Amino acid sequence: MLLSIAAMSLPDRWRDPLAKGLRQTVLAPFLWLQQQTGLLAASLSSYDGVVAQRDSAALAATFVPELRAENTRLRGLLGLGARLGSGYVPAEVLHEALPTNPLTLIVSAGRRQGVKPLAAVVSPEGLVGIVSTVDAQTSVVVTWAHPEFRASAMAADGSVYGIVAPHGTEGPKVWLLELRGIPYRQSVALGTSILTSGLGGVFPRGIPLGSVVDSAAAEEGWERTYLVRPAVHPSAVSHVMILTGGRSGTAGDLRAVFERGEQGP
Amino acid sequence: MRWSDRYRFVPIVGGLVLLQFSLRARLGDDRVAPDFLLLALLIYTIRAQPGRSAGAGFLVGLLRDALTPASFGAGALAHTLVGYLSAWGKAVFFAENVIVNGCLFFAGTWFRNLIVALASGRLKGGQLGWELLVWSPLQSLTTAVAGVIVLLLFGRYLAIRLSDV
Repeated sequence: MLLSIAAMSLPDRWRDPLAKGLRQTVLAPFLWLQQQTGLLAASLSSYDGVVAQRDSAALAATFVPELRAENTRLRGLLGLGARLGSGYVPAEVLHEALPTNPLTLIVSAGRRQGVKPLAAVVSPEGLVGIVSTVDAQTSVVVTWAHPEFRASAMAADGSVYGIVAPHGTEGPKVWLLELRGIPYRQSVALGTSILTSGLGGVFPRGIPLGSVVDSAAAEEGWERTYLVRPAVHPSAVSHVMILTGGRSGTAGDLRAVFERGEQGP
Repeated sequence: MRWSDRYRFVPIVGGLVLLQFSLRARLGDDRVAPDFLLLALLIYTIRAQPGRSAGAGFLVGLLRDALTPASFGAGALAHTLVGYLSAWGKAVFFAENVIVNGCLFFAGTWFRNLIVALASGRLKGGQLGWELLVWSPLQSLTTAVAGVIVLLLFGRYLAIRLSDV
């Protein structure tokens, strides 16, 4: 008790060094423990905030390439539209959250916009598909990935003709096309661009379908089959153009239009 | 009493000291959170002699004063008095009962705060009233609850007879 009273009556010049000495010796480990506990608690409390900010940033970052890609696609569409002049209807693809979405697409243009069945649907990169059903405001597009899709095709130089169809619905090459019906005596170099041939009158001539990436493993009879990497993936398309015909200046051959698009503005 | 029995309170007291410097800051308002250091002192005084308890109280108080230099000495005085009175009261009056021990923890905490508030001379008027009538009772309550929990968990280990619960 006396010591306590003595401690209370200590002058500042003795009290402060004494307190300081206690803090730096006996109490030092406890103060360190308290500090570490505080840091740990602060870290834990800020962790959730940091994670939330990181997630937000990551989420925003995931949209940046998508927005850029969409921007590029829209610029491409504008460029394609300018090159086409007239005879097309722009439309937005209304994607659905279903696994079968890439097989058929709903686009935001229909009969009122002048869309007709069997109209070719293109993007700046190439052929997307063909209109199968037309409603008043919307249309159903069968994409090249649909098992029933077929298109008469040719090599870019016109040396080889064949039929393009989806490669299949199973396996890792499900999103490839096949170029069928190539005579056995003819061969197609890898990387060759495959375009619509215009034969049959459904698709205009010269719309890119893709490029040859490999020959099919099984060659049947007297013909060759090649695997074609599509020019455009249906799932990646947000805006398309539906060709309605009546276009002037190209005589039904769109090669020049898409070639200029590939060369850039 | 065996030598090991005499020092079996050390781990408990050590654990309470660690809690004081680790967990207490996470238990909400500093004015309400339980005072584990004082609780360690009070648990020690349950079995110690008044003189030793006063000495332990003085050391605890002096160390705490080092952390609050504004009231240097007041903590030492308060803890010395609390240690001494607690040990003396336990030896003379109080039964070995959890409720009684809880009341001892409550009274000890409130009395410690009273002595510190008065001896330091820093709190006056309404501030002193709020401290003694609001914050101190709350802190005493949380400290008492923590002390009761400790006794329920480790009472037998501490060789504190709790048969009257």
